[in-house]
Amino acid sequence: MAPNRTLAVAAVLALSSLSMAACGGDDDKDSSGGNVTMQLWENATTGPGKAFWDKTAADFHTAHPNVTIKIQAVQNEDLDGKLQTALNSGSAPDIFLQRGGGKMAAMVEAGQLKDITEDITAETKQAVGDAVLKAGQVDGKAYAVPTSILPGGLWYSKDLFKKAGITSPPATLAELTDAVGKLKANGTPIALGGKDAWPAAHWYYFFALRACSQATLDATAKSKTFDDPCWTKAGEDLKTFADTKPFNDGFLTTSAQQGAGSSAGLVANHKASMELMGAWDPGVIASLTKDTKPLPDLGYFPFPAVPGGQGDPAAIMGGADGYSCSAKAPKECTDFLNYLLTKDVQEAYYKGFNSLPVNKAAQGAITEDYLKAVLDAYNKAPYVSQWLDTLYGQNVGNALNIGVVNLLAGKGDVAGIIKAVNDAAKKG
Amino acid sequence: MSSNFGGKRAVVTEDAAGRRVRGGSGADTPPPLRPRRRGIGWAQRLEIAALSGPAILMFVGFVIFPVLLAAYYGFYRWKGFGVPTNFVGLDNYVTILQDSSFHEALQHNGLIVVLSILLQGPVAVGLALLLNQRLRGQSIIRVLIFVPYVISEVIVGTAWSLMLQTNGAVNDALKSIGLGSLSEDWLANPKLAIWTLMLILTWKYVGFAVILFLAGMQNIPEELSEAAAVDGASYWQTQRRITLPLLAPTIRIWAFLSIIGALQLFDLVYIIWGQYVASTAGTSTMATYMVTEGRNAGNYGYGNAVAVVLFAISFVIALVYQRFVLRRDTQGALTEGQ
Repeated sequence: MAPNRTLAVAAVLALSSLSMAACGGDDDKDSSGGNVTMQLWENATTGPGKAFWDKTAADFHTAHPNVTIKIQAVQNEDLDGKLQTALNSGSAPDIFLQRGGGKMAAMVEAGQLKDITEDITAETKQAVGDAVLKAGQVDGKAYAVPTSILPGGLWYSKDLFKKAGITSPPATLAELTDAVGKLKANGTPIALGGKDAWPAAHWYYFFALRACSQATLDATAKSKTFDDPCWTKAGEDLKTFADTKPFNDGFLTTSAQQGAGSSAGLVANHKASMELMGAWDPGVIASLTKDTKPLPDLGYFPFPAVPGGQGDPAAIMGGADGYSCSAKAPKECTDFLNYLLTKDVQEAYYKGFNSLPVNKAAQGAITEDYLKAVLDAYNKAPYVSQWLDTLYGQNVGNALNIGVVNLLAGKGDVAGIIKAVNDAAKKG
Repeated sequence: MSSNFGGKRAVVTEDAAGRRVRGGSGADTPPPLRPRRRGIGWAQRLEIAALSGPAILMFVGFVIFPVLLAAYYGFYRWKGFGVPTNFVGLDNYVTILQDSSFHEALQHNGLIVVLSILLQGPVAVGLALLLNQRLRGQSIIRVLIFVPYVISEVIVGTAWSLMLQTNGAVNDALKSIGLGSLSEDWLANPKLAIWTLMLILTWKYVGFAVILFLAGMQNIPEELSEAAAVDGASYWQTQRRITLPLLAPTIRIWAFLSIIGALQLFDLVYIIWGQYVASTAGTSTMATYMVTEGRNAGNYGYGNAVAVVLFAISFVIALVYQRFVLRRDTQGALTEGQ
């Protein structure tokens, strides 16, 4: 049986070399003081957004010659998965896009994020304000800085609305339904990127924002049980609205952001009149117009009021994109985060992404009507809820997203959403 | 995963062959085995280790080890962060077997297994018979039929999903030839989507079957059909009585590869329907279910349990097929132990 022993030895050697390779992957990043190179992962792969990151990294290097930041652009839909793999395998980028909510809480729990509570400077706090910085906190400690506030709402083409005889943006659900009817004459009223699931789920989330009180939303984040009747009401409201057939044909296989056939592409090319999206949408739409310039007639209105709910009709939902340092990142990482929130960088960020900066002084540079409308709605909102799939964590969020897509595609019903969420709890 | 089963197959048949050797020689002359054993010197052992070492290292490191790890993680409720601690026993497996989405995925896999054989088999046999004759431009036709198989799944998936979109080339073409009433949501209509998938799969993989069958036909001795021709058999009689029966071993092997491929189908579905909507469109497979419920939901423990179930199902089917269908084909065809 000697050959078998040889095999066993070979196998042991193989396994140990594999595990050694896995451990050997980390280089020592904590050694600060000398030259430092940091990896940064962001989600702008083309256009002015990518240019912003390249320039910001170069500028920071000029100001701090010992710090080099390598920008890695990751396609938005791939970012979360790749990031999770990188974090789990111990090869995390030093700085990366942070979407906050339940996902960030899971990273904090796993000890994968750097606690930056002490590193946020007084100037940063003053320039941004505590309310916004809260988006980057878990249990009172800061793990991310928001770089942009991204409230959701409906982005529409003013020209197409005018053509259909709609003079003022719909403020109630009845007006929206009415507008959909009028817009059908000119093509698709509402673009929907169902292939990515979350854009479809946003419709349910906004109906839930109107149906459920703020207390219910918060309580559900803790209990993860969706037994309050408002969750069913939200589903029924969505079903009734979807039955008016407002969405593009084949929305199930339409992606949200990729190419002219995506939902943002349909709006960018006037094939659809509006879409429900977060405030990153103007930048995405701009990158998909024929001349890759911002859509000149783009407008914004908040999600309309829905009768019979417990939520405030002016409440808003949205996220705040931010940036985190991974646990092992060098201390220069937080210097860079503070730098990101300075007025000049924030103005450049606003110009690069066409979205709202968090620095209050930089907000003065906003010229577009639609961004002013977003800022206005944001400031008027009695409360701002995080996107529900982010708020309730990846597991429940994933189940919610798929349940809503099933509902819209006619494959499931409202009870199916609730059931999917409860089933998900068993899996994780 | 397919290399996985290749490996398993080798183990099983080697075992069977070994048993045959033992049965044959053990009756009257057991001693010869021992001197041969003793004959292996260190040099020969080194040679065996050096030659088989790299392959065994790869196989153990990239096949056996991950399978064992998946089995281990499958017993935990684990989010993929750090070391798994929350041991849940067989809970994950109970949940999988009760989950209606998994049942649907399993049904889709079953349908794809059966339809792949029913659709591709006859078409491929027909094409192979056609190409087995002397034809003008034969090699060009062969290449054209084989091209889809060679193109990467990602390109095939992207191209077809662009063409089959609601406003895609297929519907536009239908409209322009006056058949606009036939235009459909080929990918988004849950009643149609799986048939669209079957068409794409057939288009892509029929070339592989044709090449296999052609190779099988070339191995059939010419004399048999010549003799049949002398006896006055028609072309169809020759094909039915001679070519097809002698092609049967090739067909059985092809069916085996097709079944395994269909059970583990992932890439085309994932490219065309993306990360989220395959189950809604009715095209989810066990592998897409694993990614949706494992990686997308962040339930890595559960996902690993799904991987184990997928492995077990494929493994059992492969073994049963080996045992009952491929038995005759492999008998005597494999090298017996030393």
